[in-house]
Amino acid sequence: MPKQLITLIVNGRRTEVAVEPRWTLLEMVREELRLSGSKEGCGTGDCGACSMIVDGRLVTSCLMLATQVDGRDVVTIEGLAKNGRLHPVQQAFIDTGGVQCGFCTPGMIMAAKSLLDRTPSPTLEEVREGLAGNLCRCTGYAKIYEAVMHAANAGK
Amino acid sequence: MAQETEVREEEMQREYRNVGKPVTRIEGAGKVTGETIYADDMQLPRMLHAKVLGSPYAHARIKSIDGSAARQHPGVEAVFTPADLPEYKKNFSNRRGVIFPDEEVLFYGQPVAAVLASDPHVAEEALALIKVEYEALPPVVDPITAMEESSPLVRSPLGDVDRSEERGHVTVGVEQEEAEGKPSNIASQMNFKRGDVEAGFEQADVVVEHTWRSAVVHQSYIEPHSTVADYDASGELSVWTSTQAPFYIRDELSQTLGLPENKIRVTATEVGGGFGGKIYLQELMVAALAMAVRRPVKYIMSRKEDMLAATPAPQAVIDLKTSMTRDGKLTALKSRVVYDSGAFPGAPMLPGCLLVGGYYKCENLDIQGYEVLTNKVSVGALRAPGAHNVTFAIESHMDMMARELGLDPIEVRLKNAVEEGDPLPSGQPYPRIGLKQCLEAIAESEVWGRRNRERGTGNRGVGLAVGGWLGGLQPASAIVCLNSDGTINVTVGSADITGTNTSFAQITAEVLNVPLEMVNVTTGDTRTAPYAGMSAGSKTTYTVGRAVKLAAEDARQQMLEIAAKRFEAAPKELEMADGVVRLNGSDEKTLTFQRLGRLSTNFAAPFPAVVGRGAITTRKMAPGFTAQAAEVEVDTDTGEVTVLGFAVAQDAGFAINPLSVEGQMQGGASQGLGIALSEEMMYDSEGRLLNGNLLDYRMPTTRDLPPIEAIIVEVPSEEGPYGARIVGEPSIVAGAAAVGNAIADAIGVHLTDAPFTPERVLRALGKL
Ligand code: FES
Ligand code: FES
Repeated sequence: MPKQLITLIVNGRRTEVAVEPRWTLLEMVREELRLSGSKEGCGTGDCGACSMIVDGRLVTSCLMLATQVDGRDVVTIEGLAKNGRLHPVQQAFIDTGGVQCGFCTPGMIMAAKSLLDRTPSPTLEEVREGLAGNLCRCTGYAKIYEAVMHAANAGK
Repeated sequence: MAQETEVREEEMQREYRNVGKPVTRIEGAGKVTGETIYADDMQLPRMLHAKVLGSPYAHARIKSIDGSAARQHPGVEAVFTPADLPEYKKNFSNRRGVIFPDEEVLFYGQPVAAVLASDPHVAEEALALIKVEYEALPPVVDPITAMEESSPLVRSPLGDVDRSEERGHVTVGVEQEEAEGKPSNIASQMNFKRGDVEAGFEQADVVVEHTWRSAVVHQSYIEPHSTVADYDASGELSVWTSTQAPFYIRDELSQTLGLPENKIRVTATEVGGGFGGKIYLQELMVAALAMAVRRPVKYIMSRKEDMLAATPAPQAVIDLKTSMTRDGKLTALKSRVVYDSGAFPGAPMLPGCLLVGGYYKCENLDIQGYEVLTNKVSVGALRAPGAHNVTFAIESHMDMMARELGLDPIEVRLKNAVEEGDPLPSGQPYPRIGLKQCLEAIAESEVWGRRNRERGTGNRGVGLAVGGWLGGLQPASAIVCLNSDGTINVTVGSADITGTNTSFAQITAEVLNVPLEMVNVTTGDTRTAPYAGMSAGSKTTYTVGRAVKLAAEDARQQMLEIAAKRFEAAPKELEMADGVVRLNGSDEKTLTFQRLGRLSTNFAAPFPAVVGRGAITTRKMAPGFTAQAAEVEVDTDTGEVTVLGFAVAQDAGFAINPLSVEGQMQGGASQGLGIALSEEMMYDSEGRLLNGNLLDYRMPTTRDLPPIEAIIVEVPSEEGPYGARIVGEPSIVAGAAAVGNAIADAIGVHLTDAPFTPERVLRALGKL
């Protein structure tokens, strides 16, 4: 299938990629850029494991086509830690036990980061609302709520 | 090997430095950064992607399959119909003995053919070009109908049924009767009898009789089934797969493909959720295809395929009759327990029959179990398989009887609760257990504290239920090595699905009396690791943890012996702390672990390497019990049930890592709440799944779940490390019953069918 050249920023770096028009953003990132931190749990927009931040907004990357991010700014889970230092949300997930199998975790952390970018001191209700698009089957969410509240406090 | 130490009273009271402390997961950083490699993240040179064609019928005969057009599709490397598969030992009586059916398709979505291509899109396109001619046969979808003599048969008769996988989840010495004689849809049955139930009903002041139904539910791990396999020129098969059971897969592949076990390397990649559902499924197909094409093959189930053709947890229909005297004594229990096994045997009838009569002392029992075949996907384990279905029944009954007699639900349960020495329905006595302690703990929870306060305010109610799980038993082993710099490596063969490797680090650090950071733990593959049973049946810490403790004690002994020789002293005159061995009270006679490491690894070193070995087997169960309380609000106009609060008390024996024990309790409880509120795989009359996606199959989201309160109870087990007992599974068991009892507290009616959807609530209220 003929490919199309797109230019975008991925985790702060300008990148050119030749993409097939049928590729999703998730597929391009995982298979072509070989950033395998974002996960595919459903491919239909229902689980949030593939969450990324595009131009500052949280998206489910399995539902976006790669061609749609031409000229845009994409942040994946790989873009959060800086110089080997974990982002406060990442650290909080470890510290509170918000990580179990880890498969929802990259998406969950992107959703939590996006929530905290918008609402730096959320209430429990706001946390529950903000993460409603991300499924976790392992934790029952209790320790994830704690992680996000914790990260919010650490950010103050 | 060091002498195994029993859990002694002094040991329980000693101050521990590592075990019993909340510790974050050793693999946490990899997971939060996305660096952890799951099976789908693997890329091998020349790797092909497999896509699978599923049957559009729940029951049919394949008249012909033609893959020629698919083979012509540009980019396709190979097409496999049943006729193209390499030789393997087929067994059509077991799901894991069939790659594609030769003739008879038994459930909707059953794989019938596959395509390989280096581009997954190409493989997908080619599936549409495979021509299959089916002759549709009548599907049997409902298990109760299937039991009727007049029912059409679900399938050709069963032959050699293998129940090894189920035994990994629950290990008790009871056999079920395999069906024989006249062909029927009943795959197996069993009966437990004690006393005289009719006499028991006579003595009672209240008799309650109902039928309880629960739905087919899916494990819904977020990572679908994922496998990569390769077969190389030297005849070695490598399989990287998301599994809880690497050694089990190795053994099965060896028997089915005819390869020796030492030529098979199964690596359990990080498991993105298993919950009993990731034991052994598509690995056989992927391995066979890789052997056929001599190239690496990757197969990742789509979510839809996973819902259609993995192994969800069964629906069950429980008829239950129980009776009680005025003072709250349970006098008789009679039950017919029917599990829908789907198209192959493997339903958890045995644990269901044991647990329906296993929570309370009862002199008169009659429990009849049936495992029934239908043309639905065959079932597997989901966290304490079969337990939630029967718990829903018995725990609703306990509430109903208490209510009719005007007794307190906790008092009634405490009065009848089983204790050490009481028999299971099979007659086997319980070892030490903590059911009563869990009830006492839940009575103190915040949620239960609101029971009387919330009464009569709007449509709020608070209810509780108990649950339990017996656990699996399998041998286990471990190796603990001293490195030349004094750090410690632990190697085990168990897949880490719940944080067990972190607990093993704690155990090793405890025995060697060092900071946790000095220990690292690896799960090896089946060619490098010492044997461990499957990570199922909640037994990993209980069994492998004990082997790790022994291996660490063995390593400790070897290190002390080296030091003893150096100091010309006896090992018992030495002490070990913080990475240093010293002669009692001496400041000069010390040897660091690093020095010990060098003395046992360097060129011409005077001592052999320190390699501690631990291997155990156990036949003693360490059952885990739980008591759970729910607070709900019922909207009587819409029928919607909102969970306002939920608490879980669970006996962990000894929580080696309270942080992960709490996580297991909260996670399992959330799955129990899904079973209670919304999870149900829905099939039409033709056996087609109607909601094979994560939007229409509703597992709990953050909107549904308040923070779950976890209360750890510790009644030490007899054989577990530091008294630890099984932990992973009990937490799922009581959710449906607890919520059902809370709903009854709110609106005065018990719902008999789970999940409690708005429609069922309105029906119960007589509004539909
Ligand atoms: S994979 Fe994108 S939402 Fe599930
Ligand atoms: S940690 Fe496993 S799905 Fe969230």
